[in-house]
Amino acid sequence: MSYAIETFDLAYRAGKHFEIRDLALKVREGSIYGFLGPNGSGKTTTIRLLLGMLKPVRGAITVLGRKVPSEMARILAQTGYVPERPHLYPYLTLEQAVRFHAAFYEGFDMAYAGEMRRSFGLPLDQKLSHLSKGEIGKLHMLLVLAQRPKLLVLDEPTDGLDPVVRRDVLSALLDFCSQGSATVFISSHLVHELERICDWVGVLDNGKLVIELPMQSFKNGIKRIRLTGAPSLVGDTPFTVLQRETTGTEQVWVVRGWQAPMAQWFEGVGAAVKEVVDLDLEEGFVELLRSSRAPTS
Amino acid sequence: MYKQVLKAQWLAARLPVALLAVLGFALPLLTVTAGGSLEGAPAEQVALWLFTAQKIGVLFPGLALLLGLLLGISAWAPDHLGKHVYALSLPVPRPMYVLLRFAAGVTLLALPVAALGLGAVLASLVVRLPSGIHAYPAQITLRFAVAALVCYAIFFAISIATKRAALAVLGVICGVLLADLVLTAVGQGDSGTVTTTMFMLLTNWPGPLSILMGRWALFDV
Repeated sequence: MSYAIETFDLAYRAGKHFEIRDLALKVREGSIYGFLGPNGSGKTTTIRLLLGMLKPVRGAITVLGRKVPSEMARILAQTGYVPERPHLYPYLTLEQAVRFHAAFYEGFDMAYAGEMRRSFGLPLDQKLSHLSKGEIGKLHMLLVLAQRPKLLVLDEPTDGLDPVVRRDVLSALLDFCSQGSATVFISSHLVHELERICDWVGVLDNGKLVIELPMQSFKNGIKRIRLTGAPSLVGDTPFTVLQRETTGTEQVWVVRGWQAPMAQWFEGVGAAVKEVVDLDLEEGFVELLRSSRAPTS
Repeated sequence: MYKQVLKAQWLAARLPVALLAVLGFALPLLTVTAGGSLEGAPAEQVALWLFTAQKIGVLFPGLALLLGLLLGISAWAPDHLGKHVYALSLPVPRPMYVLLRFAAGVTLLALPVAALGLGAVLASLVVRLPSGIHAYPAQITLRFAVAALVCYAIFFAISIATKRAALAVLGVICGVLLADLVLTAVGQGDSGTVTTTMFMLLTNWPGPLSILMGRWALFDV
């Protein structure tokens, strides 16, 4: 299996209170990898580490099979990056910004950029400082997609955009992905958005990777189980218990890695399963964070 | 790449560059008009004219300093706005990007330098000089070009730095002033000894600012 992004034992520290710890990411080539995490969890910092903008205190990073930071220019030539905050020069017009960007990328597809500009309805002669947030978001997407990159690194690309613009931007992204085999690494705290487009998901919390698995497993594997008669102490379970709550005689468990035959395990411990409810990605995400933050006894 | 960086830098700095080009063109002509006509003038008047023209010459290094400052700052101001994220995400090695920015700034210096050169040549042509006094339009233009380049290089380097580095430069300046105060207070030196020494180090050859010092005269003996 080849990976577009791989980190080994990655560590970074900024100030007294924030650090990335033991980060081991594996982003498969051709996948759309959703990098989930609450605000301040370290998503942007991780992305900046991946792109050589920050220097880790420990660990190694390879992107597109090349080492960061020694082969950074070659990596960036094949990587499209949309940052969290707009970074383009505001005094340039849209046309000037496109030409400036294109000059740095050999394979920049000017025709495709023109096509996207028309479909996004972006004004060619408008200064970037006069564009709306949505138009800037579209422009960022236009620039990186016209690069025809092998890897797209998108840091909250739709954050703060209205639903119509968000849909346009994500549609353009999906169109691009359907044309080739680019890998997409997209960070967001908008869980529903990633649910629609990603096939892998990694969850970062407080600088630590909580989980990394195929989206399907994540979505299908997290259940809320209503049951009665469960013992207060349980030994090894065939699934991961994220949360347990007792209401009267009933208990509600939130579990990960659930499969239907596992109901037998409850019978074995004298409990009766009343209901198994699928959690959507957002609920699963919240439960996962809650369990990862719970103090371990 | 260079063409686009140059264009971006021009768009960011075109107003000050154009203004300084106009000033550069006007300054040598001001040297002539301020002194008045020399035709059939007595020696005292010629001496006074030369003195006035050379007084105005002080403005040449001032203009070079201003040009270097404005271009140095404008070279990095747009990148500072975006915390250099855009520049860092471009697929060029960092030294190469710095070089592109620097080269674009040097190219933009050419416009005010050329304007000053043109003004100097015109000024030399419009005045009829008495014997023993010569015009040095090429020399003053070359000197102005080197001075502007040195100032640009210094401000480019300061401007590229982080806030911390800029504060360090400021800290050194404050340290020098403080050292002066302390030395003066304890009676170990005259007022301003350290500042003067630092100034001398910077402005005497081979100090980087020595190019700005001395006599700047379009007309001289």
